[in-house]
Amino acid sequence: MSYKPNEAAWMAYLYGEMEGEERERMELYLAENANARLELENMKALQHMLRTVEDKEVIAPPIVVDNHKTRSLWDFPYAKTIISIAASLLLIMVVGRLTSTTVSSDDSGIRISFGAKETIPPVTNTPMLTQAEVQEMINASLSDNNNTWQQSLAENRQKIDESIRKNLAVNTRNSERVDALVQQVASASKDQIAAYVASIQTENMRMMQDYMKLTSTEQKDYMENLLVDFSKYLQQQRNDDLRLLQTKITDVEQNSNLFKAETEQILTSLINNSGTNFQKAGIRN
Amino acid sequence: MAETLLDIAMMHSDSLLLRARQGDKNAQGKLVQLWYKRIYNFAFKFFQDHDLAMEVAQKTFISMCRNLEGLQDTGRFKSWLYTIAVNYCREELRKKKSNKSVPFEFVVNPEAENSPRWEGSAMRHENPEQQFQQAELSEILQQALMTLSEEQREVVIMKEFEGLKFREIAEVLNISENTAKSRMYYGLDGLKRILEQRNITKDTVHYEL
Repeated sequence: MSYKPNEAAWMAYLYGEMEGEERERMELYLAENANARLELENMKALQHMLRTVEDKEVIAPPIVVDNHKTRSLWDFPYAKTIISIAASLLLIMVVGRLTSTTVSSDDSGIRISFGAKETIPPVTNTPMLTQAEVQEMINASLSDNNNTWQQSLAENRQKIDESIRKNLAVNTRNSERVDALVQQVASASKDQIAAYVASIQTENMRMMQDYMKLTSTEQKDYMENLLVDFSKYLQQQRNDDLRLLQTKITDVEQNSNLFKAETEQILTSLINNSGTNFQKAGIRN
Repeated sequence: MAETLLDIAMMHSDSLLLRARQGDKNAQGKLVQLWYKRIYNFAFKFFQDHDLAMEVAQKTFISMCRNLEGLQDTGRFKSWLYTIAVNYCREELRKKKSNKSVPFEFVVNPEAENSPRWEGSAMRHENPEQQFQQAELSEILQQALMTLSEEQREVVIMKEFEGLKFREIAEVLNISENTAKSRMYYGLDGLKRILEQRNITKDTVHYEL
């Protein structure tokens, strides 16, 4: 059989909205198909579960409606849109009027401008100079320029010469001073260095002596302390050992006393038992 | 599901509808009384939130009263009313998604602090343990409903709890009948899987109940 119900058919059958031939086909399909029957059962079970969802109780509030339908222009469809567009255009026009906006287009493009149009006065052309006059002006300017340049060059050269002479004189004086200083240093250095080295040696020796003294005293103190601590430790150790020994001896004494008491008890009980046994034997005899 | 007097009244409310359409305030009030509980419960199951459900129900009935005279076919009243409710539910859901703040009720969770639901249920005289288990199952099912997609949840609530026919659901949601059935199938499948994850099957429920 080729019939296979789609989702719509399932729903129509489940909710009893399937009739006629289609219903018969669906029933036949269900009769022949165990899985389909199971699916239908599951759907019915879900329906059953959904019926546990109860309605909420609610009290209807009074509904007051104004029946006077005086619809304003604003309520008509698209009225808001049309009025908004009109208002925007009006606003643009007013702003354009106030700012004297002009939009013009020519070959060079569109031009938007604000305010009154500015008129530029025409430029009056001065009569043209001849080539000879221009050449003369250039020559005059060049000769002025050359004169000024040569004058400034001569001044600069003079200044540089003066500056070089001054520098040379200063350098000569400086080198003389340096030579004198070098000679002074060379003559005085040997004795001074010997004295300096000797003073350093003495100082070092004194420092070493002090240090040795200090360290030897410290070491002595340290050794004494160490010996004292060690003897204290030994003493403590001996005391502990003695205490331990005493404890052990006490334990041994206690154990021996206990043992003695137990032995006495056992002996007493044995003696008692043997006495009663003798008595019993005597009675029997 | 046994039909209550209210259900019967709802089904035979043609004359009431006609009077309400003509602007009879009394008839409109009676219509609200008849349908308020259904629309509230639809919205409550959709949101699991009393305030949102009240909001949706009130908006639905205000809209109903305003637009009833435009309803041509009174036979389509039920699907028309649910269409309004669904639209308001979707609107509230959009607002809720855009507003990410957590309502105070979720923080305090008054239901967790109060006594179990079965105390207030209609079948209080029955076995309390059974009642408690039913309330627990009901709670789990409602939580499971919230895990379904918005589209599946709408169909499952309308079909299973509101008892609309697939034709009516298709009309409400403006979809084809086959799409409605398909959403229902996958909705039930989703619920079944969630229950199976919690080890709630027909056998365990039968044993427990």
